[in-house]
Amino acid sequence: MRRRVVITGMGAITPLGHSVAELYRQQIEGRSGVGRITHFDARTFPTQIAAEVRDFDLARFLGQDAARFEDVGANCRFALAAARQALEDAGVLDSDVNRRRFGVYLGTGEGQQDFFAFISLIGRCYNPQTQTVDTRRFTELALQELHPGREREQEPHTTVGHLAEYFQLEGPNYNCLTACAASSQAIGEAVELIRRGEAALVLSGGSHSMIHPFGVTGFCLLTALSTRNDEPTKASRPFDALRDGFVLGEGAGMVVLEELEHAKRRKAHIYAEITGYGISADAFRITDSHPEGRGAIACMADALRDARLKPQDIGYINAHGTSTQVNDRVETLAIKKVFGDYAYQVPISSSKSMLGHLIAAAGVVELITCVMCLQHGVLPPTINYEHPDPECDLDYIPNVAREKRVEHVLSNSFGFGGQNVSLVVSRFRD
Amino acid sequence: MKPRVVITGIGLLTPLGLRHETVWQYLQAGKSGVRRIQAFDPSALPTQFAGEITDFDAKDFVDRKDRKALKVMSRPIQLAVCATNVALQDAGIDPSQLDPTRLGVIFGAGLIASELEELGPAARLCTNGQPYFVDLEKWGRDGLAAMPPLWMLKYLPNLLACHVSILHNAQGPNNSITQGDVASLLALGEAWRILQRGLADVMLTGGGDSRLNPLSMSRLCLFAPLSRRNDAPEEACRPFDRERDGLVPGEGAAVLVLETLEHAQRRGARVYGEVVGFASAFDRQRTGEVLAEVIGQALQQAGITPEAIDHINAHGYSTPREDIWEAAGLVRVFGRNNTRVPVFAAKSYWGNLGAAGSVAELAISLLSWQQGVLPPTRNYRQPDPDCPVYVLAGRWHEPHKDFCLKVALGERGHCAAAVIRRCRQEN
Repeated sequence: MRRRVVITGMGAITPLGHSVAELYRQQIEGRSGVGRITHFDARTFPTQIAAEVRDFDLARFLGQDAARFEDVGANCRFALAAARQALEDAGVLDSDVNRRRFGVYLGTGEGQQDFFAFISLIGRCYNPQTQTVDTRRFTELALQELHPGREREQEPHTTVGHLAEYFQLEGPNYNCLTACAASSQAIGEAVELIRRGEAALVLSGGSHSMIHPFGVTGFCLLTALSTRNDEPTKASRPFDALRDGFVLGEGAGMVVLEELEHAKRRKAHIYAEITGYGISADAFRITDSHPEGRGAIACMADALRDARLKPQDIGYINAHGTSTQVNDRVETLAIKKVFGDYAYQVPISSSKSMLGHLIAAAGVVELITCVMCLQHGVLPPTINYEHPDPECDLDYIPNVAREKRVEHVLSNSFGFGGQNVSLVVSRFRD
Repeated sequence: MKPRVVITGIGLLTPLGLRHETVWQYLQAGKSGVRRIQAFDPSALPTQFAGEITDFDAKDFVDRKDRKALKVMSRPIQLAVCATNVALQDAGIDPSQLDPTRLGVIFGAGLIASELEELGPAARLCTNGQPYFVDLEKWGRDGLAAMPPLWMLKYLPNLLACHVSILHNAQGPNNSITQGDVASLLALGEAWRILQRGLADVMLTGGGDSRLNPLSMSRLCLFAPLSRRNDAPEEACRPFDRERDGLVPGEGAAVLVLETLEHAQRRGARVYGEVVGFASAFDRQRTGEVLAEVIGQALQQAGITPEAIDHINAHGYSTPREDIWEAAGLVRVFGRNNTRVPVFAAKSYWGNLGAAGSVAELAISLLSWQQGVLPPTRNYRQPDPDCPVYVLAGRWHEPHKDFCLKVALGERGHCAAAVIRRCRQEN
C-alpha cells in the first residue's frame, strides 16, 4: 500500500483577494481581477492591463518580522504571506511537528530584474556604431549602482530558502521553474516525496509576478498577451471565439501536504486528498504546444492512471485555459481524446478568466480552487464566454457558477516550453 | 521491488576541457581551469578570474539540422544541449531508437543573464545618460521594436531541459530545478525517483550554468563571498585549506545518462555506477547537524555504514564559513581526520560551476573508477583546524572500496547527499 497524501492547510494571495475564502467567493461571483497596470507606467505598451494583487501589506501577515524582508521581491513577499496562512490553517505554525520531516517544494519564479538600474546602465555603455557594450564601463558602473541585497534576491532559490529559514522547515527543499506548470509540478513531486517516506509534511505551491517592465516586454514581444486594453475585465476570455491572448496575473498559493496517518495522529482538518499526478513533455517547439495535444493527453491519462480512476469519475476539470487561440483549442482536443464522449458532459472552467495567468503560481491557485469545489459543491464559471468557437464546443460553465457535488476533480497546467502537469484531487474518504 | 538505476553516460563541458578524455589529461597534469577572465574586460571588478571555457563552439557538438536552434539559446542552454549530446554518445544511445514517452529530462538551472548587446539599441533609445532613468513611455512605443522577438525565451531557466527534450524527442517527465549550487544533484535525485517509480527507462540529468558575463560577474562581486586572489588565480580555489578566501565562479555543463539496470543490461551498456542512496534537507543553522543526518539517510538507503565509502566527493566551496559547516557535517558522520575516507574537492580545479557543479564534480568520481585513480585536491597546503577532514592532497588515491559519497550545499542551508556504487564488470 502506498502512503496517501492529504491537504491540511491552504493559503493564497491573489488578484481576487488575500485569502482562500476570498479567492473562492470572488470566483463563484464571477468577478474579474483584471485592470489597467498600476505597478509601472504601461501606457504605451501594446498590453496595458493585468490582474494585479492590490493593497498588499506583508506586515498584516508577519507583523514586525516583515521588516526583515526589506530587500526581497514580490515573489517572496507573496510567498511568505500565503505560506503563513497555510501553515496556520494546518495548525503547524508553532506546533511540535518534527521540523526535520517537514520539507518545502515550490515552483517560484525568478526575481524581478532591477529594470531602471539595469537599462540605464546599458544605455550609457552601448555603442550603436560598433553595436557593442563597453564592458569595463558597465562593470564599473554596475558595482556602484546595482543594489547588492536586491540583486541577490533575484536568484530563483531565495524564496524557498527564506521560507525554510523563517518557518523552520528542515526537510527536503526544492524549487522548480517550469514556467506555467511550475507550482503544479512542485505539488506533484512533493506528493511523491511523501509517498516515498522522505518527508511527513511538505509546504508546496508557488509564487510569481511578471507584472514588471521586463515581464510585460517579454510577453508582448511573443505576442502572447491580450491587447484588449479598453475592456480589461473582458480581456481574459478562455474558450471564447474572440479570445486574443492571455492576461498576466500575479500572486501566490501554498498548500500543506501531509501523509495521511500523520495528519490523523495529530487530528488535523483534512481538506482533500491528492490522488493523481501526471507529467509529460511536448518535445515539440519552444514557442508552440503540440497541435494535437500529445503531451496534454499523456499527462491527463497518467494522472487518471495514478489516481486509479476512470474518466467518468472526474466531476469537474479546472482547465489550463489561458485564453490564447492555440492553448484553448488544443486543450479541448486533448480533453476529448482522454474523456471520449464523456468530455461533453464533464463541466470545465478556467479560473484564468477571472484571475489572469499567475504563471508559476497559476497551478497551485487553481488546485486550491478545486479543493474548495470539493468542499462547497459550487463550480466557478468561465467568465466572458460570449461567442462560441466551433473548435471549443465543450461545457465551459459559461459565465455563471454551477452547483454540483463532485468527488474527484482534475487540474491542468501546461508550461511554456512544453512541460505538462495534471493533478487529480479527491474528496477525502477514510 | 523498485527498479535499480545505473549511470551509463557522461557528458562534461568544463574549464578543463570539453571531452572527459581531455578533462582527465588535464587532471593528470595537475592543470587548473581557473584564470583571468577572457570573455570581457574584467579590470574594474574586485575578482577578475574564473573557471572559464575558452574554446567552446556549440556548432561542433550538434547536427547540422539543429544548428539554427542555437541562435535562440543563451550560453547555459548551449552548454547543456552540447553536454547532452556528448553524454548520449558516450552511453551509446541513439534516442530515436528509444520509446520517446519513456525518455525524460530533469536538469538543474540557474538565473540566466540577458546578453547586454541585445538590449543595447532599446536601452540607448530610452535613456538619457542619467543613472536609474528610463523613459518608459518611449520604451513601450519604440524600445520593444528594437528587441529580438524571442528575447525572453533565451533566458528562461526551464529552456535547457525544453531544448533537450525537443532535440531528442524526450516526451517523458521534464523538470528544471533552480536551487543554486545544489540544483543538479537535486535533479539527479529526482530523476532517480522517477526511474524508480517506473515512469521512464532513460533519464537525462545534470545541468548547465554560466556566470561569465559582465552582469552576472558584477552581481556576484556585489553579494557573493568571492576570492580576490587576482595575483594567483590558479591557487584561488582551495577548499578546506587554511588560506582559502572565497569562492571562484565558473561555467560549464554536466549531463549523466541514468537508466534502469534492466534497460542498460538489455542493450549491453557499459555501467559507470549505480545510484543507491539520495537525501536532501535544509540545514537552517548550518551547524552540520542536518547535513550529517542527510548523509546518514543516503548511507542507510544504500544499506552501508560510513566505512564502506571509498572517498567523499565534497562540495568544497572554498569560503571561510561554508567549509567549516561542511566539515562539521562530515566529522559527525566519519569522525575527525578520518584518513581511511579521503575527501576530494573538484572545485579546486575549475571553480564553482553553479547549477551544473555538483554533477560535474560527481563525474570525476565516476571516471576515477574507470581510470583506477582519483586525483588529489588542488591547492590544499595548510590544514585548517576548523575543518578537521582528511583532504587528499599531493598524491593520487587508488579507489579500493565500492561506494562514493557526493555532497552538495547551497549557501543558505540547502544540502543534499548521494551515494553511488561502483559497478565492476562482473556485476
